[in-house]
Amino acid sequence: MKPVLLIAINFAREQRWPILTLLLWVLLLAFLGLVTDIHREREDLLFVFKQDAVYVLAFSVFFGGSAIYNERRSRRILGVLSKAVGRQQYLSGLVLGVTIACAVYCFALGMTGSWTLGSASFPISHVWFLMVCLLAACALAGTVALMFSTFLNPFFAAGATAIVLGFPALAGHLLGPRWGLVIPVWELGATVINSSFDSPGSASWLVVGLAGAETVAFWLLSARIFAYVDIAVAVE
Amino acid sequence: MSFVLEFENVTKEYRSFASKRRLRALDSFSLAVEAGEIFGFLGPNGAGKSTAIHLAMGFMQPTSGNGRLLGESFGDPGARRRVGFLAESVALYHRRAERLVRFYGALNGMGGTQLDKRAREVLEIVGLQDHANRNAGKFSRGMLQRVGLAQAMVNDPELLILDEPTSALDPLARVMVRELLIGARNAGKTIFLSSHLLSEVELICDRVAMLHRGKLARLGRTTDLLQAGGRTEIIVRAIAPSHFEGAAARDGIVSFSVPTHGQRAALEKVWNLGGEVVSVNPVRRSLEEIFLEVTAEPLSPLSKGVQ
Repeated sequence: MKPVLLIAINFAREQRWPILTLLLWVLLLAFLGLVTDIHREREDLLFVFKQDAVYVLAFSVFFGGSAIYNERRSRRILGVLSKAVGRQQYLSGLVLGVTIACAVYCFALGMTGSWTLGSASFPISHVWFLMVCLLAACALAGTVALMFSTFLNPFFAAGATAIVLGFPALAGHLLGPRWGLVIPVWELGATVINSSFDSPGSASWLVVGLAGAETVAFWLLSARIFAYVDIAVAVE
Repeated sequence: MSFVLEFENVTKEYRSFASKRRLRALDSFSLAVEAGEIFGFLGPNGAGKSTAIHLAMGFMQPTSGNGRLLGESFGDPGARRRVGFLAESVALYHRRAERLVRFYGALNGMGGTQLDKRAREVLEIVGLQDHANRNAGKFSRGMLQRVGLAQAMVNDPELLILDEPTSALDPLARVMVRELLIGARNAGKTIFLSSHLLSEVELICDRVAMLHRGKLARLGRTTDLLQAGGRTEIIVRAIAPSHFEGAAARDGIVSFSVPTHGQRAALEKVWNLGGEVVSVNPVRRSLEEIFLEVTAEPLSPLSKGVQ
């Protein structure tokens, strides 16, 4: 477990600049909360809140899709995997790292959302529920992207991830809402996007649990694929 | 005899996905490294040295054949816990040197005061004790290589696998690394050293293997390889150089070489001519000569077929 934690924390640390840049949007929400009339501009605040939520979902794909590529291109992966670290542990570290990076953001957004939206009579418990949904969606999206990045470059990995995550959304739209639960990133994302002061989030904990279970499944699949990848081969 | 690193008939082919071309980097490669020796692993660029090392470390899978690292199959994390590895191009995270070494030590299961103490110790060994709190991202290539060595040694490994460990070092630092490696061998460690610095390998390696186009071209004790010319140099005085073919004279001293099996006859001829023998020594070749000889050898038909 120790190597997994070390790799995860190291990954989050390496992503500190993208995370800090991303946190500027949360800062914007906080700034708006300070300078606007919260009750009168509450719909605008909710819009910015949702916008910030969508950004982290996109970033989770970016984090997951580029993690292995960046490590291989810089050859830093050799230093880590030359130690007593199995490939499965390495991938677990990256999955956890992506989740930690997104969790930091979700926590900051949850805190700011609790203050701004909470002041505008949005239930604070629902803000945190939405953050849990968002984090579950990020973990799953990041892990799917990570799986593709074990054998594709980040550009194609992001594309493949978008297709895989978009398919249930499309199928849900065309064939029925149950299809949206196949890979519930869209379902969870939609919970955040569709939340309003009248209806502050409707997804069930079951969907969150399903996302967690699928994260584990994709992580195991990634580890299976990654076990056969020649990591010392140039990736350019 | 215990072997710490064994390659058994290992072949590694790289396949290009687009063109379906195959490049055989290693071709039925077998090698066994004994415990407690400094083993020199030589070959020109593209000979397959790094491929062999990466296979041993489990960074890639062989196309066929297998191997063992410290008694375990290639890629076993448990075996890697007892290995120190330095890659050819050192790539480290940008953080303070001491933290960096501690990070790599912790990945090997070390921790607590033992790790703190060892991290400071290895940084001192590589001469970076005054830079322990500097960010490695601001280090020169030579300093990075030294931090790389420190992280390789932090777990006090039984086997050190070093790919070009002195390529970026100045002469002073090279001497330091040389002494460090000799010290490690004297302490019972095994060192598998890939290097292009042949003079260095000649100085410290007990055995040497030369790889050419994925195949093992030479293998043996360094001293045996250097003396394997089969000729003896004889230095004499008080005779004319014209008596021996290829003899050179300078200040009354005549030197020439003869096949080792003909040295007795040559010496008798010197004495019969009234000459005086100054010295008789086997002709020593340099590793560079052997290296050039190996790289000039033509491709085997098998290698030609797949390149």
